[in-house]
Amino acid sequence: MAYEEPVKDYDKIVENCTCAFCGSNCDDLDILVKDNHVAGVRHACRLGASKIMEDEDQRLLVPMVRDENGELVEVDWDTALDKAAELIAGSIRPVFYGWSETSIEAMKPGLELTELVGAVIDNQATICHGPTVQAVQNVGYPLMTLGEVKNRADMLVYTGSNPMNAHPRHLSRYTTYPKGFFRRRGRFDRTLVTWDPKFSDTAKLSDIWVPFEENGDYGFCNAIRAVLKGKELKQDVISGIPKEDIYELTEKMKNTKFGALFFGLGLTHTLSKQRNIDIAIQLVQDLNKYTKWVLLPMRGHFNVNGFNIFMSYEMGFPYGVDFSRGYPRYMIGETTTIDLLNRRECDVFMVIAADPGAHFPGGALAHLANIPVIQIDIHWGPSTEMADVVLPGTFIGVETAGTSYRMDSVPLYMKKAIDPPETCREDEWIVNELLQRVKNIKEASK
Amino acid sequence: MEYILKNGIVYDPVNEINGEKKDVMFRDGKIVNSVSDSAKILDVTDKLVMPAGVDVHCHLAGPKLCVGRLYRPEDERKGVKPKTDITRAETGFSIPSCPATGYRFSRMGYGTVVEAAVPPLEAKHTHEEIIAIPNIDIPPLTLFGNNWFVMQFAKEGNIEDLAAFVSAWLKITKGYGVKIVNPCGSEAWGWGGNVHGIDDPAPYWDVTAREVIRALAQANEMLGLPHSIHVHPNDLGHPGNFPTTINTIDCMKDIKKNSEYRNQTIHLTHAQFHCYEGTSWRDVTSGAQPVADYINKNDHVTMDLGAVTLDETTTMTADGPMEYDLYELTGLKWANKDIELETASGLVPFIYSGRNPVHSLQWAIGLELALMVENPWQVALTTDSPNAGPFIRYPRVISWLMSNKRRMEMMDNKEVHGWAAKKSALATLDREYDFYDIATITRAAPSKIYGFEDRGNLSVGSLADIAVYDLEPNNFDPTVNAAAVENAFSNALYTIKDGEILVKDGEVVKVVSSNHVHTEVQGFEDQEKRILEQIMPMFNKYYTVKFENYIVHDHYAEPSTVYKVNASK
Amino acid sequence: MKQITLTPKKFSSIALEFDELIPDEIYGWSKEDFERYEVPVGNTRFPLTDYYEIEVEGEAESPEEVKLTIDGDAGRVKYIGCKMGAGEIIVNGDADLQAGAEMTGGSLTINGNAESYAGREMKGGEITIKGNVREYAGTSYIGEWRGMSGGKITIYGNAGKQLADAMSGGEIHVHGNCDILAGIHMTKGFIQIDGDVTRWPGGQMKNGAIVVNGRLERLLEGFELDGIVNDPVVEGREFTGKYIKYIGDIGVNGKGSLLLNAEKNRHHL
Repeated sequence: MAYEEPVKDYDKIVENCTCAFCGSNCDDLDILVKDNHVAGVRHACRLGASKIMEDEDQRLLVPMVRDENGELVEVDWDTALDKAAELIAGSIRPVFYGWSETSIEAMKPGLELTELVGAVIDNQATICHGPTVQAVQNVGYPLMTLGEVKNRADMLVYTGSNPMNAHPRHLSRYTTYPKGFFRRRGRFDRTLVTWDPKFSDTAKLSDIWVPFEENGDYGFCNAIRAVLKGKELKQDVISGIPKEDIYELTEKMKNTKFGALFFGLGLTHTLSKQRNIDIAIQLVQDLNKYTKWVLLPMRGHFNVNGFNIFMSYEMGFPYGVDFSRGYPRYMIGETTTIDLLNRRECDVFMVIAADPGAHFPGGALAHLANIPVIQIDIHWGPSTEMADVVLPGTFIGVETAGTSYRMDSVPLYMKKAIDPPETCREDEWIVNELLQRVKNIKEASK
Repeated sequence: MEYILKNGIVYDPVNEINGEKKDVMFRDGKIVNSVSDSAKILDVTDKLVMPAGVDVHCHLAGPKLCVGRLYRPEDERKGVKPKTDITRAETGFSIPSCPATGYRFSRMGYGTVVEAAVPPLEAKHTHEEIIAIPNIDIPPLTLFGNNWFVMQFAKEGNIEDLAAFVSAWLKITKGYGVKIVNPCGSEAWGWGGNVHGIDDPAPYWDVTAREVIRALAQANEMLGLPHSIHVHPNDLGHPGNFPTTINTIDCMKDIKKNSEYRNQTIHLTHAQFHCYEGTSWRDVTSGAQPVADYINKNDHVTMDLGAVTLDETTTMTADGPMEYDLYELTGLKWANKDIELETASGLVPFIYSGRNPVHSLQWAIGLELALMVENPWQVALTTDSPNAGPFIRYPRVISWLMSNKRRMEMMDNKEVHGWAAKKSALATLDREYDFYDIATITRAAPSKIYGFEDRGNLSVGSLADIAVYDLEPNNFDPTVNAAAVENAFSNALYTIKDGEILVKDGEVVKVVSSNHVHTEVQGFEDQEKRILEQIMPMFNKYYTVKFENYIVHDHYAEPSTVYKVNASK
Repeated sequence: MKQITLTPKKFSSIALEFDELIPDEIYGWSKEDFERYEVPVGNTRFPLTDYYEIEVEGEAESPEEVKLTIDGDAGRVKYIGCKMGAGEIIVNGDADLQAGAEMTGGSLTINGNAESYAGREMKGGEITIKGNVREYAGTSYIGEWRGMSGGKITIYGNAGKQLADAMSGGEIHVHGNCDILAGIHMTKGFIQIDGDVTRWPGGQMKNGAIVVNGRLERLLEGFELDGIVNDPVVEGREFTGKYIKYIGDIGVNGKGSLLLNAEKNRHHL
């Protein structure tokens, strides 16, 4: 990487902005503003900085509607909003998906709209940490805020996640490197462990690497639990790990003062899915008989957890909530987005602050190509190619302030640093407009 | 808009009105003593009229609740109701969704409900939920008992700095008062431990619960806050814990009160969980008598019941170690949530059953306390919702307190286990609450305990927060009609909040935003500024958020009711 | 006896929901009542007659006297027999999600395959599935630790992943093969699998019994060998031959029994 000169040409610094990238929600960003543009970002990791800096690239600026020739054409806001409202009001199985990269404030009218039309509302948890939520619902949720780890933890285990690539400041800001109140020497006072089939960049930094085999997660955790109960292991190698190593690791985990387990999609999306998390949670619960252990899922988007929290307090269920019968229903596999698309049930799809075009499996995308899609987003992406109505939003945390919840559920008020492009509208405003317009259509048809 | 609530039978203990037939008039949200001829008449002839209910201690908004909702879909699906033209869909039994929480309190005739535990770091979350809960005013209590700065000041005996810290943190969190939960014990839980009794120091900090409670009480009185310290003592739910409870309130005896309206310097919360005698769950008996005796002899303490309602519920408390004990006991799914530098917390679902001896004894102890403490002004009705039972069961607790016949019936019919009669004195207590007493423990005393002069009463100038129930006190015997009492208190004929009719015939007819109720100390600004400067290096080093992003911004607490307090030494 | 026959005439890719069409509700309905009935489809209701030819024969005094036949594919009809307490439902084809969920009595026969959640939280009655079932047959609701508590599910085909999560009573018999984690979190009840099993039956089980007559690939470390038993009697049922008996899952101090046909599972000895 070539040396880059620090940015010196700016009008003002907006301090303590919250990063709108991953679930670490670092709230110490200084955004350098020049002529109402972001000239530089201090303290952010490369992922966060590039998202904030390169925001202008591929930016959606004007509402668009797909014409009869299949081309997206620029229209005024009224035309686009009316078109979207008409699609929503006439749908039988609408799904409103996304929400993880927008603010709680935008979710509020979104949920109201969902209730009004009897839609399904869902977020990216449905394709990422959904299994975690299921496991939490089955066996519990022993967690903490990240500062507890920073100040107390002497053992950290990352499994099924590679924060050095996906959550670059997780180790440096929260868990491993910082000097904590009871861990004054930072990294030197902690043991870093990675359980992962891959020798990931995080594994490379670790003191201990446990490369269990792919899909071996459940059997591996089960073996540690059995050892904790005093069992002698029968097999010499379990899930690819020699039994001696399992004994040694178990002993270390028992004898630490404060341990924290962080897990990612490597656990949620292998063979036994939510059961990997299920048993990992129970392992942490067992360890609390001996010493202090906590855990935390490595949430991806900066407000993916926020949506789950918001839905839980508003409607009692965290994601995949179906209002088609007038009351909320939550049934994984039935009221969840991918299943509704794979089964070709959904007839109108609204996506806000997400990119299913880039992330959904082929079967789901094949159906999306056949039904009307409404997109609320700030960037042109694969989903735009499928969209019939495009409503350009604004960038939460840079152009618009709003509330988000960090992966450990700490709420943050994300500031704005610059004004949004004049032709764009805030997500909250857009969703509210849709709500009002659908209400009007419903009223008129009574 | 003007109204006359006509010919009701009014119970208003603050004004010593005990079942008088009279009109209640209100205009523009306030009680008045006369209205014009154009006032709208609400005919409630012979019906039971009280100020709207005031709940001193409930867990209804905030991070713990949300963990509960998120991880108990099996509870959420129990209370599912479709939306109506006025109300949104409802979910949940022990941990209802926010809209359901507001509707259900409103249907019971409540107007103000205190959220009992707010961790400062996540206070924004609590306020976000208050925004989502309609129809009731909500004062949140801020957690201080295991805060690192508090422990440090308490250790140093530095009361003035502590008072400045409390004053600043109430502003930062938009909190109403000072909550203390298992002081030093929740910090010990940071290492998987606990403390026992009030003289067992927290690891590292080397400060005891006694020191923390006394220091916070002195700071509370130095600021002259409207509410006293609100204490969940150590050893909750442990057999043999009643001496800890008495020691906790007794250590406050010499602390001088600095507030005109309230009488107490300490509020003991969910007392039921703190009144056990014995050494284990095998030989446990009721410890209600010695605690009640103490309270009867001392007026510096008030308490709320934490009455067990014998339901499947969700326990949740900032007492982290207690929840892990409960998990080990029941094996049911355990959630935990420790908050950096501030507190711990935990949750476990719990099934109270009348067939279980211990649960039956707990049921008896909750009622014993209400019947043994002589002065109802020292008692508030709670279930520590949802810990000892969901708040929708308050009317059932009322029906038990009003009917000795019903209590005896439950013990005779084996609706509760024999331990209720055998290991407590409940079967020997024939005292029965009348409507005046009920109005005292659900309205008058709670508002006095909190220093609310403007609610919990029907005085001229007070908020027009009024409940009317479909019972005719002059033609009705609550001692033999427990089911009818429960039904009437569950479904208010009218609930009026700030002069607006929100409930009619048990149904929500109007939805309004709830007020965030908090205090603001005035005259302590310099001390606050100095203390903030002093602690900021430690804050910046050990918290994981920036101070600027830590505070609860004004827009999270709107609309609000702010009680301004003049700090006086 | 009242015989109701629904013959499909139009397919809807948006699933119909049949929870209101259970014998307990419809035993008194006339043909006209069915023709007036609107069935939930997505956020709307449409006339049942849009989708079915309806025939009603005979009379019923109670749900017990009802026989409802869906004479064709119901692969997009959810909640068939959900919460039914009596009577009989026959599906001459596949059934969609939640068939027989929360059933308390009566019988449900599916002559094709069943989607996920068949027999979820079943309390009584009988479900017979001639084909395969997807995931979570006889399971609990998400988060609920008290799952299927009574009744019997017979599956002639294969069973998908996580059969009978948190089972707390009743019986499941799979004639075919079974995927991972059958009987996970089980606390009581009985599962018999005649075919082969991929991995990890009985994970985190506290009690109850699982018998595998086919070959099991992977066994969890949480199971302790109890011994070889001849002609065991498990939950009152007799089995002939040699079985390897394990107790587990010790990770949760479990006392559950897992019996493997010894002949087919020599590799575990």
